[in-house]
Amino acid sequence: MSLVNYATREITCKIVYYGPGRSGKTTNLHYIYSQVPEDRRGNMVSLATQTDRTLFFDFLPLDLGSISGFTTKFQLYTVPGQVYYQTTRRLVLQGADGVVFVADSQARQREENIESFQDLHANLSEQGVDPRSMPLVVQYNKQDLPKDLILPVSELSDAINFRGVSEYSADALHGPGVFETLRGISEIVLRRLSAGGSSGAASSAVSR
Amino acid sequence: MMTSVVESWIESPLKRFVEDAEVDLALLMHPSGQVLAQHGFARSMDVMSACALAAGIYATSAELGRMLEGRPFRGIHQVGTERQLFLAEAHSPRGAYIFVTVFGAESSLGLVRLYFDELVVRISEAAPPEGPAPEPALTEHFERDLNRNLAVLFGRA
Repeated sequence: MSLVNYATREITCKIVYYGPGRSGKTTNLHYIYSQVPEDRRGNMVSLATQTDRTLFFDFLPLDLGSISGFTTKFQLYTVPGQVYYQTTRRLVLQGADGVVFVADSQARQREENIESFQDLHANLSEQGVDPRSMPLVVQYNKQDLPKDLILPVSELSDAINFRGVSEYSADALHGPGVFETLRGISEIVLRRLSAGGSSGAASSAVSR
Repeated sequence: MMTSVVESWIESPLKRFVEDAEVDLALLMHPSGQVLAQHGFARSMDVMSACALAAGIYATSAELGRMLEGRPFRGIHQVGTERQLFLAEAHSPRGAYIFVTVFGAESSLGLVRLYFDELVVRISEAAPPEGPAPEPALTEHFERDLNRNLAVLFGRA
C-alpha cells in the first residue's frame, strides 16, 4: 500500500522480490546496497539462518530522491524462497505495491520457478489482491552461467511469463540487469500512482 | 526528541502517550510495515527499518498465537538489559495499526500498558472517516525524474 503524504510531499512504496530458493533475491538487494550512496539508503536488514539462507526477509530502504516534487522512498523486501516458508512469504507480501519475480535461469530449476510463480499468484489471491492488477516484472537471473546449464530467455519466458510483463536478463552477483529491473518495477509502480490507481490494496493518501 | 507523523490526526494522541508514559521511542504503523507516526528516531531510514522489523515480529507472533490458541496474541513484551519493548495492535475505525514503543527505567510495563489503552481510545476518537479515493500524485511525465534519480543512485549519471 503506497503512502502518499501531501502535507510533507512524500511517497513510500513497498517492493517485494519474490522467487524460488537460491534464485538471487538477496543478491539483488546486496548489489543495490553496494552501489547506492550511503546517504540514500538505510542499513540492510537480513533475517537469515547461520548459512545465510533468508529466514524471514531482507529489507533495504532506499531514498529515490524527488520525483514530480515528491520525496520518494522505496522499501525493498525479499521473501524466503524455500517451499516450507509459505506463511512467511504471505506475511511479507502483505501491502506490496509491486513485485519483482526473480527466476533462476538454470535448466534444472525450471519447475521450481513455475511453482514459485504459481505460489505468488495464490498468495496474492488469498490476500484479496487480483494478481493481474499487481505491478510485476520478471528477472531471469544467473544468465552469466555456462550456456549448457541455463535456459535461454525465450524458453524461460514461455515457461513463466504467461502474463507478458516486462522481463530482464540479469547477473545479480555482478550487477548486469539489477538496475534495469529496479527501474522497470519503479516505473510501473509510480505510473500506477500517477494514474491514481492502486494494486488492490488501496493507496493511503493523507493530510494536505 | 522529535515526533513526526504522516497523518496529522495521529500527532496529538501520540505526543500525549509519549509524555504520559515517558517512553524513549514510539512507532505507529500499518501491518504492512508502513510508518504513520514516530517519536524518537533521528533518521527516516532507521524508522523504516524499525517498522519492517516490528511488522515482522507482530506478524509472526500473531501467526504463532493463532496456531497455539486459535487467535493472535494481544501484545508482546521483551526485556533488554536497559530498555524494554512493548508491541501491540491498535484498532481504529480506519483499520488495525501496529504500535511499538521502547522505554527505560523512567517508565514501566504497567504504565505503558495503561497509557497504551488510552492511546487506542484517543486514536479511535481522532480518526477522521476515510476520505475520497486518492488523486493522482505524480505528474504524467515523472519518468524523467525517476530515470535521473536512479542513475544518480547507481552512479550512472
